[in-house]
Amino acid sequence: MARNAKRRLGGVAAAITVTALLGGCVATGGGASGITQDDTAPLVIQSRFTDDAKGGLPALIDAYQAQGGGEVTLNSTPSESYRSQLPTFLTAQTPPDVYTWFAGQATRSFADEDLLLDLSDIWSEDLGNYSEAQRKLSQNAAGKEVFIPTNYYWIAVYYRVSEFERLGVTPPETWQEFKEVSEKIKSQGVTPITIGLGDNAWLAAGWFDYLNLRINGSQFHLDLLEGKESFEDPRVVKVFETWKEILPYFDPSALGVPFQQSTTDFAQGKAAMTLIGAWFQGSVPDDVKGDLGFFRFPIIDPSVEIAEEGPTDGFFVSANSTHQKAAKDFMRYLASPEGAKVFMAAQGDTSLSANPDVKVELSPLAQQGKDLLESADSLTQFYNRDAGDELQPAADAALTRFLAEPDKLAEILADWQAASVQARKSL
Amino acid sequence: MTSLALKARRRRVGSPPPIVLILVLVPLLIEGFGVIWPAIQGIGLSFLRWNGYSEAIPVGPQNYIDLWSDKVFLGAFRNTAIWTLLFGVLSFLGGLLMALALQSERRGVGLYRTALFLPIVFSLVVTALTWSAFFQPHGVFDGLLDFVGLGDLKRVWLGDPSTALYAVIVAALWRQIGYVMVLFIAGLKAIDPSILEAARVDGANSWQRFWSVTFPQLRNVNLVIVSTLVIDSLRSFDVVYAMTKGGPFHSTELLSTYMFTTAITSRQLGYGSAIAVIIFLLALGVIVSYLIRALSEERES
Repeated sequence: MARNAKRRLGGVAAAITVTALLGGCVATGGGASGITQDDTAPLVIQSRFTDDAKGGLPALIDAYQAQGGGEVTLNSTPSESYRSQLPTFLTAQTPPDVYTWFAGQATRSFADEDLLLDLSDIWSEDLGNYSEAQRKLSQNAAGKEVFIPTNYYWIAVYYRVSEFERLGVTPPETWQEFKEVSEKIKSQGVTPITIGLGDNAWLAAGWFDYLNLRINGSQFHLDLLEGKESFEDPRVVKVFETWKEILPYFDPSALGVPFQQSTTDFAQGKAAMTLIGAWFQGSVPDDVKGDLGFFRFPIIDPSVEIAEEGPTDGFFVSANSTHQKAAKDFMRYLASPEGAKVFMAAQGDTSLSANPDVKVELSPLAQQGKDLLESADSLTQFYNRDAGDELQPAADAALTRFLAEPDKLAEILADWQAASVQARKSL
Repeated sequence: MTSLALKARRRRVGSPPPIVLILVLVPLLIEGFGVIWPAIQGIGLSFLRWNGYSEAIPVGPQNYIDLWSDKVFLGAFRNTAIWTLLFGVLSFLGGLLMALALQSERRGVGLYRTALFLPIVFSLVVTALTWSAFFQPHGVFDGLLDFVGLGDLKRVWLGDPSTALYAVIVAALWRQIGYVMVLFIAGLKAIDPSILEAARVDGANSWQRFWSVTFPQLRNVNLVIVSTLVIDSLRSFDVVYAMTKGGPFHSTELLSTYMFTTAITSRQLGYGSAIAVIIFLLALGVIVSYLIRALSEERES
């Protein structure tokens, strides 16, 4: 009896312990100085890819060793727990050496705590051919490169070519055309826009990002996401006022539809369009893959420069790594045309190599994605990558609430601003 | 029995044999290392502003002060209260009713008991996934409503902030009622049948027999069940997180899920720890009042 109650208490205590344990020792990450180097033990790579041949890493490691690289150990953790463990890894006494991660703010927040190894020598010696945008994405606040990008992908409005033909519509280019197309689709009993917010609320941020980019441009967007502007700014209000024009075209049950169901609706022609990253191509059934098409998020204000989201993935090295020589050696191989080619072969045709000299046969869709990004005036990443992961929950709450209660916009924006300020306090 | 046990214990207080010391100290050490020490650290963390990798800044009680102006926290507090009340009361009543209905040994009663107890063998996450599919748009539940002609009631059960919390409570109840039922059956079996027989001979009707004889006899079981239920509701996390992650827009946020989101997803370890401390204090309040009541009743008898 009492034992039972005690076990329950133990449960509560254990829940608290999780938080406590994560902060096991309240020590701050120190600099890289005086790390004893050890050239014998294997290089440890920590990866967040657990499926699809672990994101191409096993093939890459094999190729690396075949051309004379040293021993490598690969640890893979599912991305959600990887995310929460990353600070613990990086502040550990003997951390893993090499990590998969996102470019931009997501990496910068670690770099600015001196947790990442300076890789500027690799950049100046080997990466001269990479684009200036990628170099900037790989820098810490002081302008030192701490990240090696491997690949990036595009985000666009996907549709089924045969469905668009059946519905008698063509891919729109402007906001007006987009509304007309949506109206025409809706009049035929098909949901114009599907989005699986039931279990993936973050997908709504894609819509916010693009509307803000098309209306206010990338500079304001990035300033807003970095906390330099307020969500209560009239320019943000304008974004939502524009969004309201297309709310009737969203699946009315979007908030309760899981991503899987949304994908099924799309594949079965019950819903016509979805704004999503290129990885979506891997989520649809095989017989639909060949029928996929996408178009650029429609232009709203022609006077605003065209910005696209091109989320970039890559690798960094812990500043406390005890295998810095091997780690840099691996990073050089990763960025080389040969290494990049091996890595890209496992990515399918849903992302593009960051190395401009990698010549791979691109599928028509991948070529279209490449053209889309290359024709853009500027590139952003995605909400959580530009703002920092910590800011995503506040955005999720605000955007899903807007979809359900668009009339409460003022309150929603005030809450969003307050929640973002709170989330930024720990940064 | 208690007085005997007490006497026996008193006799040995002078010189505990080494085996007793070991049996007490080893678990205490494990408990201290695994639970008590991290819990104390958690309390310490709640006075910091820290993201897990940068310099931790001591902020005094600021995290606690911030909590009271945080709308999400207040909403989570309110939801936890609703959850505790509904989940607690309904599983108590449901479990009691089921136990009364299924206590006597009739043919086929084992089948019903098993059916009610079965949900307990599924992990909460599996339960949550099943119920998510049940409630999803065009799912089984909407189909049922259509079938009985109540199609007008259809809504996005888990995506509508006015229904989501209750939909999740239904899923949690489905699992909890069987558990409470088993506890009650055990309690009912312990009642001496001759007392009930005596009441029947005295002419008590079935409601009188239940209210004046059976229910008072269940007092000890009730205490266990009530405290178990309160603590279960305070630590409810998995079923909510798996079904809605606290959404849509915090409408199913409980203290436990909000603690997780702030500490783990938003990396506000100090702020999340402050929420954890509040949960701990609430749980502690329940345990202490339970112990005080249980002990004083024992003394009375």
